[in-house]
Amino acid sequence: MRELRPVLIVAGLLAALALFGPALAPNAPNAIDIPNRLAAPGGQYPLGTDAMGRCILSRLLHGASWSLGLAFLVSTIGLVTGTLIGLSAAMGGRRIDWVVMRVTDIFLAFPDLVAAVVIAGVLGAGTGSLIFALSATGWMRYARVTRGIGLGLAKRGHVVQARLAGLSPAAIARWHYLPALAPSLTVVWTGMLARAILGISALGFLGFGVQPPTPEWGTMLLDARVHMRSTPLQMIWPGGAVVLCVLAINLTGDILRDALTERTEPA
Amino acid sequence: MRQILDLLLRALLVLAGAALLTFTLLWHAPGDPATTIAVARYDSVVSQEIIAQIRAEAGLDAGYWTAFRHWVTPLLAGDLGNSAVSGRPIWPEMRTAMALTAPLALSGLLIGLGLSIPLAMLAVRHPGGWVDRGAVAVASLGAAMPAYWLALLLILLFAVKLLWLPAMGTGSARHLILPALTLGLGTAAALTRILRSALLEARGAPFLPALARRGVQRRERALSHIAPHAAIPVLTVAGLELAFLLEGTVMVEVIFARPGLGGFLIHAIQARDFPKVQAVVLLIALVFVVVNLLTDLLYQLVDPRIGESDA
Repeated sequence: MRELRPVLIVAGLLAALALFGPALAPNAPNAIDIPNRLAAPGGQYPLGTDAMGRCILSRLLHGASWSLGLAFLVSTIGLVTGTLIGLSAAMGGRRIDWVVMRVTDIFLAFPDLVAAVVIAGVLGAGTGSLIFALSATGWMRYARVTRGIGLGLAKRGHVVQARLAGLSPAAIARWHYLPALAPSLTVVWTGMLARAILGISALGFLGFGVQPPTPEWGTMLLDARVHMRSTPLQMIWPGGAVVLCVLAINLTGDILRDALTERTEPA
Repeated sequence: MRQILDLLLRALLVLAGAALLTFTLLWHAPGDPATTIAVARYDSVVSQEIIAQIRAEAGLDAGYWTAFRHWVTPLLAGDLGNSAVSGRPIWPEMRTAMALTAPLALSGLLIGLGLSIPLAMLAVRHPGGWVDRGAVAVASLGAAMPAYWLALLLILLFAVKLLWLPAMGTGSARHLILPALTLGLGTAAALTRILRSALLEARGAPFLPALARRGVQRRERALSHIAPHAAIPVLTVAGLELAFLLEGTVMVEVIFARPGLGGFLIHAIQARDFPKVQAVVLLIALVFVVVNLLTDLLYQLVDPRIGESDA
Protein backbone atom coordinates (compact mmCIF):
# COMPACT_ATOMS: atom_id res chain seq x y z
CA MET A 1 0.00 0.00 0.00
CA ARG A 2 2.93 2.32 0.63
CA GLU A 3 3.76 2.62 -3.04
CA LEU A 4 0.25 4.00 -3.56
CA ARG A 5 0.81 6.97 -1.26
CA PRO A 6 1.82 9.35 -4.08
CA VAL A 7 -1.30 8.28 -5.95
CA LEU A 8 -3.49 9.27 -3.03
CA ILE A 9 -1.66 12.56 -2.57
CA VAL A 10 -2.04 13.54 -6.23
CA ALA A 11 -5.67 12.44 -6.31
CA GLY A 12 -6.35 14.44 -3.15
CA LEU A 13 -4.60 17.53 -4.50
CA LEU A 14 -6.47 17.44 -7.80
CA ALA A 15 -9.80 16.86 -6.09
CA ALA A 16 -9.10 19.73 -3.68
CA LEU A 17 -8.17 21.98 -6.59
CA ALA A 18 -11.39 21.14 -8.41
CA LEU A 19 -13.59 21.48 -5.31
CA PHE A 20 -11.99 24.37 -3.43
CA GLY A 21 -10.08 26.14 -6.22
CA PRO A 22 -12.88 28.67 -6.86
CA ALA A 23 -13.04 29.47 -3.12
CA LEU A 24 -9.36 30.40 -3.14
CA ALA A 25 -9.70 32.86 -6.01
CA PRO A 26 -8.80 36.41 -4.92
CA ASN A 27 -11.20 38.09 -7.37
CA ALA A 28 -14.39 37.32 -9.25
CA PRO A 29 -13.40 35.42 -12.42
CA ASN A 30 -15.52 37.50 -14.78
CA ALA A 31 -15.08 40.92 -13.15
CA ILE A 32 -13.90 43.30 -15.85
CA ASP A 33 -11.36 46.00 -14.97
CA ILE A 34 -10.55 47.84 -18.17
CA PRO A 35 -8.09 50.40 -16.69
CA ASN A 36 -5.97 47.47 -15.50
CA ARG A 37 -6.15 45.39 -18.65
CA LEU A 38 -3.12 43.22 -19.51
CA ALA A 39 -1.57 44.16 -16.19
CA ALA A 40 1.69 42.55 -15.13
CA PRO A 41 1.64 40.12 -12.19
CA GLY A 42 1.56 41.73 -8.75
CA GLY A 43 -0.65 43.64 -6.35
CA GLN A 44 -4.34 42.96 -6.57
CA TYR A 45 -3.77 40.53 -9.47
CA PRO A 46 -1.07 37.98 -8.49
CA LEU A 47 -0.76 36.61 -12.03
CA GLY A 48 -1.83 39.76 -13.87
CA THR A 49 -4.94 40.37 -15.94
CA ASP A 50 -6.14 39.43 -19.41
CA ALA A 51 -7.28 41.68 -22.25
CA MET A 52 -10.50 42.58 -20.42
CA GLY A 53 -8.78 43.18 -17.11
CA ARG A 54 -9.98 39.94 -15.56
CA CYS A 55 -7.83 38.36 -12.85
CA ILE A 56 -5.89 35.48 -14.43
CA LEU A 57 -5.29 33.62 -11.17
CA SER A 58 -8.99 33.69 -10.32
CA ARG A 59 -9.87 32.49 -13.80
CA LEU A 60 -7.31 29.69 -13.54
CA LEU A 61 -8.72 28.54 -10.19
CA HIS A 62 -12.30 28.67 -11.40
CA GLY A 63 -11.16 26.98 -14.61
CA ALA A 64 -9.74 24.12 -12.54
CA SER A 65 -13.18 23.07 -11.40
CA TRP A 66 -14.46 23.28 -14.98
CA SER A 67 -11.57 21.43 -16.58
CA LEU A 68 -11.07 18.81 -13.86
CA GLY A 69 -14.75 18.41 -13.02
CA LEU A 70 -15.77 17.94 -16.64
CA ALA A 71 -12.87 15.54 -17.21
CA PHE A 72 -13.98 13.51 -14.21
CA LEU A 73 -17.55 13.46 -15.46
CA VAL A 74 -16.65 12.52 -19.01
CA SER A 75 -14.20 9.77 -18.08
CA THR A 76 -16.68 8.31 -15.59
CA ILE A 77 -19.50 8.27 -18.15
CA GLY A 78 -17.09 6.46 -20.47
CA LEU A 79 -16.18 4.04 -17.70
CA VAL A 80 -19.78 3.10 -16.96
CA THR A 81 -20.98 2.79 -20.56
CA GLY A 82 -17.79 1.11 -21.76
CA THR A 83 -17.86 -1.45 -18.97
CA LEU A 84 -21.51 -2.26 -19.56
CA ILE A 85 -20.89 -2.64 -23.29
CA GLY A 86 -17.83 -4.80 -22.67
CA LEU A 87 -19.70 -6.97 -20.19
CA SER A 88 -22.54 -7.51 -22.62
CA ALA A 89 -19.99 -8.63 -25.22
CA ALA A 90 -18.21 -10.95 -22.81
CA MET A 91 -21.34 -12.48 -21.27
CA GLY A 92 -23.85 -12.35 -24.11
CA GLY A 93 -22.59 -15.18 -26.27
CA ARG A 94 -20.68 -15.23 -29.53
CA ARG A 95 -23.16 -13.40 -31.73
CA ILE A 96 -23.65 -10.45 -29.42
CA ASP A 97 -19.91 -10.38 -28.87
CA TRP A 98 -19.29 -10.19 -32.61
CA VAL A 99 -21.78 -7.38 -33.15
CA VAL A 100 -20.62 -5.36 -30.15
CA MET A 101 -16.97 -5.65 -31.08
CA ARG A 102 -17.64 -4.60 -34.69
CA VAL A 103 -19.53 -1.55 -33.44
CA THR A 104 -16.56 -0.80 -31.20
CA ASP A 105 -14.26 -1.13 -34.23
CA ILE A 106 -16.41 1.37 -36.12
CA PHE A 107 -16.14 3.92 -33.31
CA LEU A 108 -12.40 3.30 -33.20
CA ALA A 109 -12.14 4.12 -36.91
CA PHE A 110 -11.91 7.82 -36.06
CA PRO A 111 -9.13 9.48 -34.11
CA ASP A 112 -10.86 10.50 -30.82
CA LEU A 113 -10.08 14.18 -30.88
CA VAL A 114 -11.01 14.63 -34.53
CA ALA A 115 -14.29 12.82 -33.88
CA ALA A 116 -14.93 14.90 -30.76
CA VAL A 117 -14.27 18.12 -32.69
CA VAL A 118 -16.69 17.09 -35.42
CA ILE A 119 -19.42 15.99 -33.00
CA ALA A 120 -19.12 19.04 -30.76
CA GLY A 121 -18.89 21.37 -33.76
CA VAL A 122 -21.86 19.88 -35.56
CA LEU A 123 -24.08 19.75 -32.48
CA GLY A 124 -23.25 23.37 -31.73
CA ALA A 125 -20.61 24.64 -29.35
CA GLY A 126 -21.43 24.34 -25.67
CA THR A 127 -20.81 22.34 -22.54
CA GLY A 128 -23.53 19.76 -23.29
CA SER A 129 -22.13 19.01 -26.75
CA LEU A 130 -18.67 18.78 -25.27
CA ILE A 131 -19.73 16.20 -22.70
CA PHE A 132 -21.58 14.20 -25.33
CA ALA A 133 -18.71 14.39 -27.82
CA LEU A 134 -16.03 13.28 -25.37
CA SER A 135 -18.20 10.53 -23.87
CA ALA A 136 -19.19 9.17 -27.28
CA THR A 137 -15.53 8.94 -28.27
CA GLY A 138 -14.24 7.72 -24.92
CA TRP A 139 -15.90 4.40 -24.07
CA MET A 140 -14.18 2.01 -26.47
CA ARG A 141 -11.05 1.31 -24.49
CA TYR A 142 -13.06 0.31 -21.40
CA ALA A 143 -15.23 -1.96 -23.53
CA ARG A 144 -12.22 -3.71 -25.05
CA VAL A 145 -10.47 -4.22 -21.74
CA THR A 146 -13.66 -5.45 -20.05
CA ARG A 147 -14.40 -7.86 -22.87
CA GLY A 148 -10.85 -9.20 -22.97
CA ILE A 149 -10.72 -9.93 -19.25
CA GLY A 150 -14.36 -11.05 -19.18
CA LEU A 151 -13.86 -13.69 -21.88
CA GLY A 152 -11.02 -15.14 -19.84
CA LEU A 153 -13.13 -15.13 -16.69
CA ALA A 154 -16.04 -16.94 -18.31
CA LYS A 155 -13.99 -20.14 -18.49
CA ARG A 156 -12.75 -19.99 -14.89
CA GLY A 157 -14.05 -22.43 -12.30
CA HIS A 158 -15.75 -20.08 -9.88
CA VAL A 159 -17.62 -18.26 -12.64
CA VAL A 160 -18.79 -21.52 -14.19
CA GLN A 161 -19.92 -22.72 -10.78
CA ALA A 162 -21.79 -19.49 -10.12
CA ARG A 163 -23.57 -19.89 -13.43
CA LEU A 164 -24.45 -23.51 -12.74
CA ALA A 165 -25.69 -22.53 -9.28
CA GLY A 166 -28.24 -20.35 -11.05
CA LEU A 167 -26.91 -16.90 -10.21
CA SER A 168 -28.34 -14.22 -12.48
CA PRO A 169 -25.98 -12.64 -15.05
CA ALA A 170 -26.27 -9.35 -13.18
CA ALA A 171 -25.17 -10.97 -9.93
CA ILE A 172 -22.30 -12.78 -11.65
CA ALA A 173 -21.23 -9.51 -13.22
CA ARG A 174 -21.43 -7.74 -9.88
CA TRP A 175 -19.67 -10.31 -7.70
CA HIS A 176 -17.32 -12.10 -10.08
CA TYR A 177 -16.56 -9.78 -12.96
CA LEU A 178 -16.37 -6.31 -11.45
CA PRO A 179 -13.85 -7.16 -8.71
CA ALA A 180 -11.59 -8.83 -11.27
CA LEU A 181 -11.99 -5.92 -13.68
CA ALA A 182 -11.47 -3.13 -11.15
CA PRO A 183 -7.65 -2.87 -11.27
CA SER A 184 -7.40 -2.73 -15.07
CA LEU A 185 -10.38 -0.41 -15.39
CA THR A 186 -8.86 1.95 -12.83
CA VAL A 187 -5.68 2.14 -14.87
CA VAL A 188 -7.63 2.78 -18.07
CA TRP A 189 -9.69 5.39 -16.24
CA THR A 190 -6.63 7.40 -15.19
CA GLY A 191 -5.41 7.40 -18.77
CA MET A 192 -8.80 8.53 -20.02
CA LEU A 193 -9.00 11.22 -17.34
CA ALA A 194 -5.78 12.71 -18.66
CA ARG A 195 -7.03 12.45 -22.24
CA ALA A 196 -10.30 14.13 -21.23
CA ILE A 197 -8.44 17.11 -19.76
CA LEU A 198 -6.50 17.43 -23.02
CA GLY A 199 -9.69 17.00 -25.06
CA ILE A 200 -11.67 19.59 -23.10
CA SER A 201 -8.97 22.20 -23.42
CA ALA A 202 -8.42 21.36 -27.11
CA LEU A 203 -12.13 21.81 -27.86
CA GLY A 204 -12.14 25.00 -25.81
CA PHE A 205 -9.15 26.26 -27.73
CA LEU A 206 -10.85 25.55 -31.05
CA GLY A 207 -13.96 27.37 -29.79
CA PHE A 208 -16.16 24.25 -29.80
CA GLY A 209 -16.14 23.56 -26.07
CA VAL A 210 -17.04 25.49 -22.95
CA GLN A 211 -18.09 28.95 -24.10
CA PRO A 212 -16.72 32.28 -22.96
CA PRO A 213 -16.88 34.06 -20.57
CA THR A 214 -16.75 30.81 -18.53
CA PRO A 215 -13.16 30.46 -17.39
CA GLU A 216 -11.87 27.22 -18.89
CA TRP A 217 -8.20 26.57 -19.57
CA GLY A 218 -8.56 25.99 -23.32
CA THR A 219 -10.67 29.09 -23.92
CA MET A 220 -8.29 31.13 -21.75
CA LEU A 221 -5.46 30.02 -24.01
CA LEU A 222 -7.48 31.06 -27.03
CA ASP A 223 -7.92 34.55 -25.54
CA ALA A 224 -4.28 34.76 -24.51
CA ARG A 225 -3.00 33.80 -27.93
CA VAL A 226 -4.00 37.12 -29.48
CA HIS A 227 -1.85 39.00 -26.97
CA MET A 228 1.15 36.72 -27.30
CA ARG A 229 3.45 39.54 -28.34
CA SER A 230 2.61 41.96 -25.56
CA THR A 231 1.96 39.59 -22.64
CA PRO A 232 3.41 36.16 -23.37
CA LEU A 233 3.05 35.12 -19.71
CA GLN A 234 -0.72 35.17 -20.03
CA MET A 235 -0.40 32.23 -22.39
CA ILE A 236 1.95 30.26 -20.16
CA TRP A 237 -0.43 29.83 -17.20
CA PRO A 238 -3.40 27.92 -18.64
CA GLY A 239 -1.19 25.69 -20.78
CA GLY A 240 1.05 25.04 -17.80
CA ALA A 241 -1.97 24.11 -15.70
CA VAL A 242 -3.08 21.55 -18.30
CA VAL A 243 0.41 20.05 -18.57
CA LEU A 244 0.84 19.86 -14.81
CA CYS A 245 -2.48 18.10 -14.23
CA VAL A 246 -2.03 15.68 -17.13
CA LEU A 247 1.54 14.92 -16.11
CA ALA A 248 0.51 14.26 -12.50
CA ILE A 249 -2.32 11.99 -13.59
CA ASN A 250 -0.14 10.11 -16.07
CA LEU A 251 2.63 9.54 -13.55
CA THR A 252 0.25 8.32 -10.86
CA GLY A 253 -1.41 6.16 -13.50
CA ASP A 254 1.98 4.52 -14.12
CA ILE A 255 2.46 3.88 -10.41
CA LEU A 256 -1.06 2.53 -10.17
CA ARG A 257 -0.52 0.25 -13.14
CA ASP A 258 2.68 -1.20 -11.70
CA ALA A 259 1.11 -1.72 -8.28
CA LEU A 260 -2.20 -3.14 -9.47
CA THR A 261 -1.03 -5.38 -12.28
CA GLU A 262 1.68 -6.86 -10.06
CA ARG A 263 -0.88 -7.85 -7.50
CA THR A 264 -3.33 -9.34 -9.96
CA GLU A 265 -0.77 -11.27 -12.01
CA PRO A 266 -0.56 -14.50 -9.99
CA ALA A 267 -4.32 -14.82 -9.61
CA MET B 1 -4.82 -16.60 -46.41
CA ARG B 2 -8.19 -16.99 -44.68
CA GLN B 3 -7.06 -14.64 -41.93
CA ILE B 4 -6.02 -12.00 -44.44
CA LEU B 5 -9.41 -12.24 -46.12
CA ASP B 6 -11.04 -11.95 -42.72
CA LEU B 7 -9.10 -8.80 -41.92
CA LEU B 8 -10.00 -7.28 -45.30
CA LEU B 9 -13.68 -8.01 -44.84
CA ARG B 10 -13.62 -6.55 -41.37
CA ALA B 11 -11.92 -3.37 -42.64
CA LEU B 12 -14.62 -2.97 -45.28
CA LEU B 13 -17.31 -3.47 -42.67
CA VAL B 14 -15.74 -0.85 -40.42
CA LEU B 15 -15.56 1.62 -43.30
CA ALA B 16 -19.20 1.08 -44.18
CA GLY B 17 -20.13 1.52 -40.53
CA ALA B 18 -18.02 4.66 -40.31
CA ALA B 19 -19.81 6.14 -43.31
CA LEU B 20 -23.20 5.34 -41.80
CA LEU B 21 -22.20 6.73 -38.42
CA THR B 22 -20.93 9.98 -39.92
CA PHE B 23 -24.03 10.38 -42.02
CA THR B 24 -26.32 9.69 -39.05
CA LEU B 25 -24.59 12.28 -36.89
CA LEU B 26 -24.89 14.97 -39.54
CA TRP B 27 -28.47 13.99 -40.37
CA HIS B 28 -29.46 14.56 -36.76
CA ALA B 29 -27.54 17.81 -36.41
CA PRO B 30 -29.66 20.60 -34.98
CA GLY B 31 -31.03 23.23 -37.31
CA ASP B 32 -32.61 22.93 -40.72
CA PRO B 33 -29.83 22.12 -43.18
CA ALA B 34 -31.67 23.65 -46.13
CA THR B 35 -31.98 26.98 -44.32
CA THR B 36 -28.32 26.81 -43.36
CA ILE B 37 -27.32 26.23 -46.97
CA ALA B 38 -29.60 29.02 -48.17
CA VAL B 39 -28.18 31.52 -45.70
CA ALA B 40 -24.64 30.44 -46.47
CA ARG B 41 -25.25 30.79 -50.19
CA TYR B 42 -27.20 34.02 -50.37
CA ASP B 43 -26.03 35.63 -47.17
CA SER B 44 -29.28 37.32 -46.22
CA VAL B 45 -32.91 36.64 -45.38
CA VAL B 46 -34.17 34.03 -47.84
CA SER B 47 -37.69 33.19 -48.88
CA GLN B 48 -39.43 29.92 -48.10
CA GLU B 49 -39.51 29.01 -51.81
CA ILE B 50 -35.74 29.14 -52.08
CA ILE B 51 -35.39 26.99 -48.98
CA ALA B 52 -37.84 24.45 -50.39
CA GLN B 53 -35.98 24.46 -53.68
CA ILE B 54 -32.68 23.80 -51.96
CA ARG B 55 -34.24 21.06 -49.88
CA ALA B 56 -35.41 19.26 -52.98
CA GLU B 57 -32.19 19.84 -54.86
CA ALA B 58 -30.01 18.46 -52.04
CA GLY B 59 -32.26 15.42 -51.59
CA LEU B 60 -33.07 16.48 -48.04
CA ASP B 61 -36.81 15.88 -48.34
CA ALA B 62 -36.43 12.24 -49.29
CA GLY B 63 -35.88 10.73 -45.87
CA TYR B 64 -32.87 9.20 -44.13
CA TRP B 65 -32.18 6.12 -46.23
CA THR B 66 -32.80 7.79 -49.57
CA ALA B 67 -30.51 10.63 -48.59
CA PHE B 68 -27.88 8.14 -47.47
CA ARG B 69 -28.12 6.36 -50.83
CA HIS B 70 -27.83 9.68 -52.63
CA TRP B 71 -24.57 10.27 -50.83
CA VAL B 72 -23.08 6.79 -50.94
CA THR B 73 -23.82 5.75 -54.54
CA PRO B 74 -21.67 8.45 -56.18
CA LEU B 75 -19.17 8.03 -53.36
CA LEU B 76 -18.54 4.43 -54.38
CA ALA B 77 -17.67 5.72 -57.84
CA GLY B 78 -15.22 8.16 -56.27
CA ASP B 79 -17.42 11.25 -56.37
CA LEU B 80 -17.37 13.11 -53.06
CA GLY B 81 -20.22 15.39 -54.08
CA ASN B 82 -20.48 19.16 -54.03
CA SER B 83 -20.06 21.74 -51.33
CA ALA B 84 -23.38 22.76 -49.84
CA VAL B 85 -22.26 26.38 -49.66
CA SER B 86 -20.45 27.07 -52.91
CA GLY B 87 -22.00 24.24 -54.93
CA ARG B 88 -18.60 23.42 -56.38
CA PRO B 89 -17.19 19.87 -56.35
CA ILE B 90 -15.41 19.03 -53.09
CA TRP B 91 -12.59 16.90 -54.43
CA PRO B 92 -10.39 19.56 -56.14
CA GLU B 93 -10.42 21.75 -53.04
CA MET B 94 -9.77 18.80 -50.80
CA ARG B 95 -6.89 17.65 -52.95
CA THR B 96 -5.24 21.05 -52.60
CA ALA B 97 -5.67 20.82 -48.84
CA MET B 98 -4.24 17.31 -48.76
CA ALA B 99 -1.20 18.45 -50.69
CA LEU B 100 -0.44 20.74 -47.75
CA THR B 101 -1.23 18.18 -45.05
CA ALA B 102 0.77 15.28 -46.45
CA PRO B 103 4.22 16.89 -46.17
CA LEU B 104 3.40 18.12 -42.67
CA ALA B 105 2.26 14.73 -41.40
CA LEU B 106 5.17 13.00 -43.11
CA SER B 107 7.83 15.34 -41.76
CA GLY B 108 6.23 15.14 -38.32
CA LEU B 109 6.47 11.36 -38.47
CA LEU B 110 10.07 11.47 -39.68
CA ILE B 111 11.10 13.88 -36.91
CA GLY B 112 9.29 11.67 -34.41
CA LEU B 113 11.03 8.50 -35.57
CA GLY B 114 14.37 10.24 -35.98
CA LEU B 115 14.30 11.45 -32.40
CA SER B 116 12.65 8.53 -30.64
CA ILE B 117 14.62 5.60 -32.08
CA PRO B 118 18.07 6.84 -31.12
CA LEU B 119 16.78 8.18 -27.80
CA ALA B 120 15.15 4.87 -26.86
CA MET B 121 18.24 2.93 -27.92
CA LEU B 122 20.49 5.16 -25.85
CA ALA B 123 18.11 4.94 -22.91
CA VAL B 124 18.05 1.15 -22.71
CA ARG B 125 21.85 0.84 -22.80
CA HIS B 126 21.90 1.53 -19.08
CA PRO B 127 18.39 1.13 -17.72
CA GLY B 128 17.96 3.42 -14.74
CA GLY B 129 20.99 5.50 -15.72
CA TRP B 130 20.79 9.26 -16.19
CA VAL B 131 20.26 9.06 -19.94
CA ASP B 132 17.39 6.65 -19.37
CA ARG B 133 15.81 8.77 -16.66
CA GLY B 134 16.21 11.91 -18.74
CA ALA B 135 14.60 10.23 -21.73
CA VAL B 136 11.66 9.04 -19.64
CA ALA B 137 11.22 12.48 -18.07
CA VAL B 138 11.26 14.27 -21.42
CA ALA B 139 8.90 11.70 -22.93
CA SER B 140 6.46 12.00 -20.02
CA LEU B 141 6.48 15.77 -20.27
CA GLY B 142 5.95 15.55 -24.01
CA ALA B 143 3.02 13.18 -23.60
CA ALA B 144 1.32 15.63 -21.23
CA MET B 145 1.90 18.58 -23.56
CA PRO B 146 -1.10 19.54 -25.70
CA ALA B 147 -0.04 20.06 -29.31
CA TYR B 148 -1.63 23.51 -29.41
CA TRP B 149 0.32 24.74 -26.40
CA LEU B 150 3.61 23.36 -27.68
CA ALA B 151 2.87 25.12 -30.95
CA LEU B 152 2.23 28.42 -29.19
CA LEU B 153 5.44 28.06 -27.16
CA LEU B 154 7.46 27.35 -30.30
CA ILE B 155 5.89 30.36 -32.02
CA LEU B 156 6.68 32.49 -28.99
CA LEU B 157 10.31 31.39 -28.96
CA PHE B 158 11.23 31.15 -32.64
CA ALA B 159 8.85 33.60 -34.28
CA VAL B 160 8.17 36.28 -31.66
CA LYS B 161 11.35 36.40 -29.57
CA LEU B 162 14.08 35.18 -31.92
CA LEU B 163 12.38 36.17 -35.19
CA TRP B 164 14.00 33.19 -36.94
CA LEU B 165 10.96 31.61 -38.50
CA PRO B 166 7.55 32.68 -39.76
CA ALA B 167 4.72 32.07 -37.30
CA MET B 168 1.93 31.30 -39.72
CA GLY B 169 0.91 30.68 -43.26
CA THR B 170 2.43 28.69 -46.06
CA GLY B 171 4.59 29.44 -49.02
CA SER B 172 8.11 28.31 -48.29
CA ALA B 173 9.85 25.38 -46.68
CA ARG B 174 10.56 27.65 -43.71
CA HIS B 175 6.84 27.79 -43.03
CA LEU B 176 6.87 24.03 -42.56
CA ILE B 177 9.56 23.95 -39.86
CA LEU B 178 7.56 24.99 -36.79
CA PRO B 179 4.42 22.95 -37.55
CA ALA B 180 6.52 19.88 -38.35
CA LEU B 181 8.54 20.36 -35.19
CA THR B 182 5.38 20.61 -33.09
CA LEU B 183 4.04 17.37 -34.53
CA GLY B 184 7.41 15.65 -34.46
CA LEU B 185 8.17 16.44 -30.83
CA GLY B 186 4.77 15.17 -29.71
CA THR B 187 5.14 11.99 -31.76
CA ALA B 188 8.67 11.47 -30.49
CA ALA B 189 7.51 11.71 -26.87
CA ALA B 190 4.87 9.04 -27.31
CA LEU B 191 7.09 6.77 -29.39
CA THR B 192 10.08 6.99 -27.04
CA ARG B 193 8.10 5.62 -24.12
CA ILE B 194 6.73 2.72 -26.14
CA LEU B 195 10.01 1.89 -27.88
CA ARG B 196 11.94 2.04 -24.64
CA SER B 197 9.70 -0.39 -22.78
CA ALA B 198 9.50 -2.66 -25.82
CA LEU B 199 13.30 -2.77 -26.11
CA LEU B 200 13.70 -3.34 -22.39
CA GLU B 201 11.31 -6.23 -22.49
CA ALA B 202 12.91 -7.77 -25.56
CA ARG B 203 16.38 -7.40 -24.04
CA GLY B 204 15.25 -9.21 -20.93
CA ALA B 205 14.17 -12.28 -22.87
CA PRO B 206 15.60 -15.45 -21.26
CA PHE B 207 16.84 -16.89 -24.54
CA LEU B 208 19.31 -14.05 -25.12
CA PRO B 209 22.01 -15.21 -22.68
CA ALA B 210 21.65 -18.68 -24.14
CA LEU B 211 22.20 -17.31 -27.63
CA ALA B 212 25.21 -15.34 -26.42
CA ARG B 213 26.76 -18.43 -24.92
CA ARG B 214 26.18 -20.32 -28.12
CA GLY B 215 28.37 -17.74 -29.79
CA VAL B 216 25.76 -15.76 -31.72
CA GLN B 217 27.23 -12.34 -32.44
CA ARG B 218 25.88 -9.23 -30.70
CA ARG B 219 24.85 -7.69 -33.98
CA GLU B 220 22.88 -10.71 -35.02
CA ARG B 221 21.27 -11.02 -31.62
CA ALA B 222 20.10 -7.44 -31.87
CA LEU B 223 18.88 -7.63 -35.46
CA SER B 224 17.23 -11.00 -35.64
CA HIS B 225 16.20 -11.61 -32.05
CA ILE B 226 15.68 -8.39 -30.13
CA ALA B 227 14.28 -6.27 -32.98
CA PRO B 228 11.35 -8.55 -33.98
CA HIS B 229 10.33 -8.93 -30.36
CA ALA B 230 10.47 -5.19 -29.79
CA ALA B 231 8.53 -4.61 -33.00
CA ILE B 232 5.35 -6.27 -31.73
CA PRO B 233 4.34 -3.74 -29.08
CA VAL B 234 5.46 -0.93 -31.35
CA LEU B 235 3.18 -2.20 -34.10
CA THR B 236 0.34 -2.49 -31.63
CA VAL B 237 0.46 1.19 -30.96
CA ALA B 238 1.21 2.25 -34.52
CA GLY B 239 -2.51 2.81 -35.05
CA LEU B 240 -2.72 4.97 -31.95
CA GLU B 241 0.31 6.87 -33.12
CA LEU B 242 -1.38 7.58 -36.39
CA ALA B 243 -4.39 8.88 -34.51
CA PHE B 244 -2.10 11.17 -32.60
CA LEU B 245 -0.52 12.35 -35.83
CA LEU B 246 -3.89 13.03 -37.48
CA GLU B 247 -5.26 14.85 -34.45
CA GLY B 248 -2.05 16.76 -34.08
CA THR B 249 -2.14 17.75 -37.74
CA VAL B 250 -5.65 19.16 -37.39
CA MET B 251 -4.69 21.25 -34.36
CA VAL B 252 -1.34 22.32 -35.74
CA GLU B 253 -2.82 23.41 -39.06
CA VAL B 254 -5.40 25.54 -37.30
CA ILE B 255 -2.79 27.23 -35.12
CA PHE B 256 -0.32 27.86 -37.91
CA ALA B 257 -3.09 28.93 -40.29
CA ARG B 258 -2.12 26.30 -42.86
CA PRO B 259 -5.05 25.71 -45.20
CA GLY B 260 -4.62 21.93 -45.03
CA LEU B 261 -7.15 19.22 -44.23
CA GLY B 262 -7.46 20.31 -40.60
CA GLY B 263 -8.30 23.87 -41.53
CA PHE B 264 -10.59 22.56 -44.26
CA LEU B 265 -12.47 20.48 -41.69
CA ILE B 266 -12.81 23.25 -39.12
CA HIS B 267 -14.00 25.77 -41.72
CA ALA B 268 -16.48 23.24 -43.07
CA ILE B 269 -17.87 22.65 -39.57
CA GLN B 270 -18.15 26.37 -38.90
CA ALA B 271 -19.89 26.97 -42.22
CA ARG B 272 -22.11 23.91 -41.55
CA ASP B 273 -21.07 22.63 -44.96
CA PHE B 274 -21.93 19.03 -44.16
CA PRO B 275 -20.97 17.36 -47.44
CA LYS B 276 -17.45 18.69 -46.88
CA VAL B 277 -17.41 17.53 -43.26
CA GLN B 278 -18.54 14.08 -44.37
CA ALA B 279 -15.84 13.91 -47.01
CA VAL B 280 -12.99 14.83 -44.66
CA VAL B 281 -14.18 12.59 -41.83
CA LEU B 282 -14.53 9.68 -44.18
CA LEU B 283 -11.10 10.28 -45.66
CA ILE B 284 -9.56 10.33 -42.19
CA ALA B 285 -11.39 7.13 -41.28
CA LEU B 286 -10.18 5.56 -44.53
CA VAL B 287 -6.55 6.41 -43.79
CA PHE B 288 -6.97 5.15 -40.27
CA VAL B 289 -8.60 1.87 -41.26
CA VAL B 290 -6.05 1.17 -43.98
CA VAL B 291 -3.13 1.79 -41.64
CA ASN B 292 -4.72 -0.40 -38.99
CA LEU B 293 -5.23 -3.10 -41.58
CA LEU B 294 -1.58 -2.90 -42.64
CA THR B 295 -0.54 -3.04 -38.98
CA ASP B 296 -2.62 -6.15 -38.44
CA LEU B 297 -1.12 -7.79 -41.51
CA LEU B 298 2.44 -6.91 -40.46
CA TYR B 299 1.62 -8.10 -36.98
CA GLN B 300 0.81 -11.54 -38.29
CA LEU B 301 3.97 -11.51 -40.33
CA VAL B 302 6.14 -10.68 -37.31
CA ASP B 303 4.38 -12.90 -34.82
CA PRO B 304 2.87 -16.04 -36.32
CA ARG B 305 1.19 -16.90 -33.01
CA ILE B 306 -1.26 -14.03 -33.39
CA GLY B 307 -4.50 -14.41 -35.29
CA GLU B 308 -5.60 -17.83 -34.19
CA SER B 309 -7.96 -17.02 -31.37
CA ASP B 310 -8.00 -13.24 -31.42
CA ALA B 311 -11.37 -11.80 -32.36
